[in-house]
Amino acid sequence: MKQFALMEMSPDAIVVVDGDGTIVFVNAQAERVFGYDRQELVRKGIEALVPERYRHRHVAHRAHYEADPRVRPMGADLELFGRRKDGSEFPVEISLSPVHTPHGVFTVSAIRDVTARKAVERELEEKNLALEHANGAKDRFLAAMSHELRTPLNAIIGFTGTLLMKLPGPLTPDQEQQLTIVASSARHLLSLINDILDVAKIESGKMEVFVESISVAQEVGDVAGALKSLATQKGLRLEVELPDGAAGLTLRTDRRAVHQILINLVNNAIKYTETGSVTVRANTAAIGGKQILALSVTDTGIGIPHDVRDRLFKPFEQLDPSNTRRFEGAGLGLYLCQKLSDMIGGSLSFESEPGAGSTFALTLPMEP
Amino acid sequence: MVVDDNASNRELLLYLLRAFGYEVEGFEGGLAALEALRADRFDLALVDVLMPDIDGYEFARRVKRDPDRRSIALVAVTALAMPGDREKAIAAGFDGYIAKPIDPPAFAGELARFLPPHFSA
Repeated sequence: MKQFALMEMSPDAIVVVDGDGTIVFVNAQAERVFGYDRQELVRKGIEALVPERYRHRHVAHRAHYEADPRVRPMGADLELFGRRKDGSEFPVEISLSPVHTPHGVFTVSAIRDVTARKAVERELEEKNLALEHANGAKDRFLAAMSHELRTPLNAIIGFTGTLLMKLPGPLTPDQEQQLTIVASSARHLLSLINDILDVAKIESGKMEVFVESISVAQEVGDVAGALKSLATQKGLRLEVELPDGAAGLTLRTDRRAVHQILINLVNNAIKYTETGSVTVRANTAAIGGKQILALSVTDTGIGIPHDVRDRLFKPFEQLDPSNTRRFEGAGLGLYLCQKLSDMIGGSLSFESEPGAGSTFALTLPMEP
Repeated sequence: MVVDDNASNRELLLYLLRAFGYEVEGFEGGLAALEALRADRFDLALVDVLMPDIDGYEFARRVKRDPDRRSIALVAVTALAMPGDREKAIAAGFDGYIAKPIDPPAFAGELARFLPPHFSA
């Protein structure tokens, strides 16, 4: 029949059956895909192309289709297989269309060999599993290393501590000064190890969020108090600005996360500022009908160059590699802040003008 | 008593506690410490968690099971810091948890929380 001439040219394998499931036409692609010459297939039942164990089910499917023939893909959720002349099987995708002719209703099935696609899907699944496994191993490794690294630090921080407390006896000024440097380096090392552990915890989904009511004024005050001497040593002013009525302002969130983010931001501000001030502010605003709290840290420091802005929150990025001697730190700070902020449902943003200073802000929703 | 398989950790705690005026004895492992508890009275045990013979949790469980030794105050001193570690310690019978690395100036204050009232440093 004339309709069949078009199907001959189709890139898909086409098999046409009549109302009884008898094959009336196959195109050249179908010959190739199934490994038959068309004379062998015409007038045969379609089930010949179906693996034996599925034939019974296929007959039932056909009857179902005949009752309501429509254009549709065949059993999208079924795993379908075709059977070649040599008995081998391959996965297929099939779509069906009814053709109404004076001789009756015929069903045109377009059959696609999806072996290649299935192989790619399976490989992807295997790779994902391997990746999950590797990530789990990485996190366990980080946790174990963190513990291993902290143990010798116990002796370093502990004994420099006892020496500085002068428990074994008095110290000369030089001894005291040198021990102080050892102690502060050890504490720095400890905070790096803790940061690494925190990042590993967050990324492995093991960091728990503990929500409680915190006083905004107290939180900001604590952070300023903790870093005041660091600022004064550099000749910088560390100021706190709270809105009117801030005394009673409370927020429900994970206090440790907020504390860690603020400490990080203020530390950075002090680090990258040579003269002037670092100001910590708390502001509330209503955006889109929701109350939000913005905790911001503004400095009058060196600012952030435009070409670095995109990389700012990535791990282990330093503002300027040539500055590494001046600015210590492995650069996990902002990355960790970002992760912590995500964890508590907040967002971290910044504005900066090279040479004039920067403002980093943590915005958090204030639930009713 | 101080129970820790690591010599420098033991050394540190023994030194600090003696400097604060306490009488202390150090043990390399949980089993040796349990033995000592049979013979002597101790008011407080500072116990590391990761040890080769029995771990800190097992030590605490055994102590708490023994009616004669139950009154001793148990404090875990450990570098473990994964979520759930503190809860595990309390569940095993520890009265408290001090994180390593310890902070020597603050240590005396932290310790005072766990000592029976008639003690003073």
